[in-house]
Amino acid sequence: MNPRPDTPYLNPYLAGIGLGLVLLAAFVIMGRGLGASGAFSSTVAWLTNLVAPAHAQANEYMSEYIGDGSTHPLKAWLVFEVIGVAAGALLSGILAGRARLAVEKGPRVTTAIRLACAFAGGMLMAFGAHLARGCTSGQALTGGALLNVGSWAFMLMVFVGGYAVAWFFRWQWR
Amino acid sequence: MMTPLYKYGFFGEEFSLLVAFALGLGFGFFLERAGFGSARKLAAQFYLYDMSVFKVMFTAIVTAMLGVTYLGWIGVLDLDLVYLVPTHLGPQIVGGLVLGVGFVVGGYCPGTSVAALATGRIDAMVYALGIFAGTFVYAEVYPAIKGFVNSDPMGQVTLPEVFGLPWGLVVFAVVMIAVVGFWGATKIERWAGSRS
Amino acid sequence: MNLRQFTANRKLAMVAVALGTLALFAQPHRGPFVKLDARELASVVEAEVDHVTAPDLAAWIVEGRADYRLLDLRTEQEYAAYHIPTAENVPLTGLADYPLLRNEKIVLYSEGGIHSAQAWMLLRAQGYKAVYFVLGGFDAWKDEVLFPTLPANADAKARAQFERAAQVAKFFGGEARIGVAPEAGQAAAPAVANELPRLTVPPPMPGPATPVAKKKKKEGC
Repeated sequence: MNPRPDTPYLNPYLAGIGLGLVLLAAFVIMGRGLGASGAFSSTVAWLTNLVAPAHAQANEYMSEYIGDGSTHPLKAWLVFEVIGVAAGALLSGILAGRARLAVEKGPRVTTAIRLACAFAGGMLMAFGAHLARGCTSGQALTGGALLNVGSWAFMLMVFVGGYAVAWFFRWQWR
Repeated sequence: MMTPLYKYGFFGEEFSLLVAFALGLGFGFFLERAGFGSARKLAAQFYLYDMSVFKVMFTAIVTAMLGVTYLGWIGVLDLDLVYLVPTHLGPQIVGGLVLGVGFVVGGYCPGTSVAALATGRIDAMVYALGIFAGTFVYAEVYPAIKGFVNSDPMGQVTLPEVFGLPWGLVVFAVVMIAVVGFWGATKIERWAGSRS
Repeated sequence: MNLRQFTANRKLAMVAVALGTLALFAQPHRGPFVKLDARELASVVEAEVDHVTAPDLAAWIVEGRADYRLLDLRTEQEYAAYHIPTAENVPLTGLADYPLLRNEKIVLYSEGGIHSAQAWMLLRAQGYKAVYFVLGGFDAWKDEVLFPTLPANADAKARAQFERAAQVAKFFGGEARIGVAPEAGQAAAPAVANELPRLTVPPPMPGPATPVAKKKKKEGC
């Protein structure tokens, strides 16, 4: 595999139209939008149920994702959708020569610190997404297109929150 | 009116999972195409020199919004049957803020992290572990914060309903805001790019 | 190259503005008048999928299900005196303006069954898809849920069912009664007046009385 230069990214507007059409297809075919964070919830509920079933089923939040036992916790719409996301991204990444093991970071930060930040960011993200009943995919994108009130409030606050702390974390990216 | 197909019973749950995979495939493909498999590209949104996140997101919103508007207008899509996440303004505002901070700290959002880890980004894999940990902690503290999470319920409401405006007018306004926003974002990118 | 891409973006912007302007006239939500598919309605009625029974509704409330809206069509006074837990009071005349969503499951009840059946038709005519009424109305709720009566000559199966009904009755503050044997020639109704229980919304029933676990979350992120 000789390394070849990365293909430039797609024009953002064309990529956006592509995403929008996939989203529209979800509305027309399924009557629901896309999402991501719900799949993580299902997986956590399933894992906890494996390790400590009594604990997981007693937990109000997890029990919602475990269900009544008639179906497997991972047999959920969003889980299958997210598997598709991974496959689709891999396909695009391979076609563009962008699929490779790497750590995304700015030049001024060590890998260890970047990974610690990634972990902390993931935790914050999970908390925010569950509070808001959805993440950027499920709320901002899906609800945005449907003019959902909560989604627009949420989307606005994502940008507010991001810009509010961006300056303090610039060493990580630039 | 015969769509959403699923809600009109054209296929069952098993097939819907296949649909989920297919839709995810398209979703992931375009996320990666847009460059959202890279935390640097995503974080650049917050440092103004690459506003792709805003551009891609709003283009997708406008495309899908125009789609449902026209399909609903010609009577193909029953918009009332499309699921809306119920609005709870308080927790959604706080959740948005927390998520925005997490975006800058971690560099991804849940959807883009999947696209990034699939293309081999190690930080995205660690980020996903963070989501698992965060979800677990959230589930553990959920009983304590349940009251807040379920506060001010407004049900499934849309902007036109809340402001008492015609649907079409709000659609028009969003399109205009988006187009002007794209023009402004490009200006800002040039300004921020020349500064660094 | 740069120039060409720029113009492509401009073209896209123009298309978006044009579509957005045309969308000013779009009205994807239906107004108060819709065409009724008389055949479809008739078949729904005939298939008897337009109603729920009072015990079914009781089971939903006991499970703490929240995927439906329960509307009480009786007068305010009657509602204040007693209503089925979780019900919202909507007089028939206020139904058209009551904030309901077309994709919600709506369950109606009135004193008997007639008003709720009429309201059912009104809502269906406005395009609400998942509308149901409680079979027999509030009377059925009293007779079958609050004060179920076991005929004296019931067989073992009926007795077992009655055990469960009695538990549900107790949950809602009512009382199960063992009926008088029909051959005695007396009225089957118990001599004691069925006093409606005091209005308290019971919490979801704990313990194994309801072995129904929550269904998995289906929608949402």
